[in-house]
Amino acid sequence: MECRVLSIQSHVVRGYVGNKSASFPLQVLGFEVDSINSVQFSNHTGYSHWKGQVLTADELHVLYEGIKLNKVHQYDYVLTGYTRDTSFLEMVVDIIQELKRANPNLVYVCDPVLGDHGSMYVPQNLYPVYKNKVVPVADIITPNQFEAELLTGKNITTEKDAVEVMDLLHAMGPDTVVITSSDLPSRLGDRFLVSLGSQRKVRPDGSRTTQRVRMEVHKVDAVFVGTGDLFAAMLLAWTHHYPDDLKMACEKTFSVMHHVIQRTISYAHELAGPGRRPSPPQLELRMVQSKADIEDPAIFLKSFFCPPINTSTRRALVLKRISPRRQSACDRITRDLCLVSGAPACSIHPKVI
Amino acid sequence: MECRVLSIQSHVVRGYVGNKSATFPLQVLGFEVDSINSVQFSNHTGYAHWKGQVLTAEELNVLYEGIKLNQVNRYDYILTGYSRDSSFLETVVDIIQELKKANPSLVYVCDPVMGDHGAMYVPEYLLPVYRDKVVPLADILTPNQFEAELLTGRKITTEEDALEVMDLLHKLGPETVVLTSTDLPSKRGDQFLVALGSQNIVKADGTKTSQKICMDMPKVDAVFVGTGDLFAAMLLAWTHHHPKDLKAACEKTASVMHHVIRRTMTYANEMAGPGKRPSPAQLELRMVQSKADIENPAVVRRTLVLNVFMYQCNN
Repeated sequence: MECRVLSIQSHVVRGYVGNKSASFPLQVLGFEVDSINSVQFSNHTGYSHWKGQVLTADELHVLYEGIKLNKVHQYDYVLTGYTRDTSFLEMVVDIIQELKRANPNLVYVCDPVLGDHGSMYVPQNLYPVYKNKVVPVADIITPNQFEAELLTGKNITTEKDAVEVMDLLHAMGPDTVVITSSDLPSRLGDRFLVSLGSQRKVRPDGSRTTQRVRMEVHKVDAVFVGTGDLFAAMLLAWTHHYPDDLKMACEKTFSVMHHVIQRTISYAHELAGPGRRPSPPQLELRMVQSKADIEDPAIFLKSFFCPPINTSTRRALVLKRISPRRQSACDRITRDLCLVSGAPACSIHPKVI
Repeated sequence: MECRVLSIQSHVVRGYVGNKSATFPLQVLGFEVDSINSVQFSNHTGYAHWKGQVLTAEELNVLYEGIKLNQVNRYDYILTGYSRDSSFLETVVDIIQELKKANPSLVYVCDPVMGDHGAMYVPEYLLPVYRDKVVPLADILTPNQFEAELLTGRKITTEEDALEVMDLLHKLGPETVVLTSTDLPSKRGDQFLVALGSQNIVKADGTKTSQKICMDMPKVDAVFVGTGDLFAAMLLAWTHHHPKDLKAACEKTASVMHHVIRRTMTYANEMAGPGKRPSPAQLELRMVQSKADIENPAVVRRTLVLNVFMYQCNN
């Protein structure tokens, strides 16, 4: 596999965020990773202290110039994440536009990091840059619910809202959207959160189709840093292997996340000791220890297809008069999900969306 | 295995030198690698063009301060390589001294990069800094013949000379020395170069001696960049697993080098096409493609013969 990724993210001396979080897993999966470090900090900003230096937009340009002068600016993917600087972000957009001219098949995977849980944690002036310049050149985006709402100006309170928001995001540019986390109630109870995905494709006959998926993801009682960066990197990898099957790509991606997080939380608790909350250093992702899971993620969770349902089927479902074949398929999915996730068996009525 | 390495080397956006060359293989082998990037360049300086920024000694100190303030300045290994700035190198020395106070068992693996084939390719004033400050702190040293001669003031024309030079280097500080390449004639002919190693050991009865080894390495008709950095990183890894057996450590290290270089050469020639010399871009090490060899370097028996000579050195 000859696949080259340009990743423009932070570098931390210690720990796993930004390029530290994305590079090793991608390399382990056989991707060539060229990395431009947008900052170099001692560690991520969740520690008590952090120190380091940032790269300016000009310095970014100089590095890109070096690559271009050597005529090695051919990339299959570009990957970006957390940024705090509008001029830097605008330079990134210029670079991506040029790279897309050099390779029209380039796929830009963008994590539009703006904030979470209702508030922004980057300067407000980044929002219009993402909305008007960055997202329109993105092919795959991984916003959380807050970022998706911010970018589209529409709030998400139901799954139907989420689907509409994803369609609005498609209209802005990206054919693949994954809402990495939301506050929607999970079918499996409050120990789970809901993630959704949507991928727009053009069939051979020219008609358009959209595949939607829904994942019920186990919540973990800890604050991790770098997981979003790992997620975007792994989504890049698995959509590369399954470009027309978002369900499969998401199953693999979320499974990697699960294994890395489980390993990390066990180790963190071991280090912290009984009854004590682990510290940020203790909670650093157990990345190198998770190599085998990264290479070959055992599918931990299953995702639902959310098929478009026509009126007569909808009526049938509501009245619970669905065909035995459909009923047993739903039962099987439900059962698998509960078994796999370890949640107690529950009954789920097929939901219409 | 819980083993944390602090590696202070260059970063290139594209390609494999410095930290790009050292980090992935060490991570693949299960080491936690903290990396301070001494520079960020677009690519190594063997390309037609290169652009980027350097880290000052002050900025290096600031990064280290951040690590220290969080009380996570505990390392099992330090790894350094190519440096062009004496004040940067001196700050590295200060940091290592502090880290050794925090962990007296810390092992400093040092590639004293100064030049090759009779000429220096770093500023001359780095030599006294290496000789008087850096090498005395090093535990494992990987000079080439030229660097070994510079550090000891002795020329190497015979194997005897090489053994004496390694003993002189031991006296400067490091318990383990590997002469990564020499001009000594190989018993296997001119398609091979000679590398040597020496490790001080204390025998069961308390007497000091040293284990010396000699390796014949196949020459390759190409200029690689980043191989020295990969070598030092892998020597770190394999001496970690074989702390008292330099022969085993060197066999594994040399095998990794062999597999990576062979894979790289094949690919480069493919890319260049028949009869054409590959370019620097085409000669970049096939690092991610060599993951399996890095994890488990099959010791190459036929092309690589390792002769082990045990010399009794009564110190």
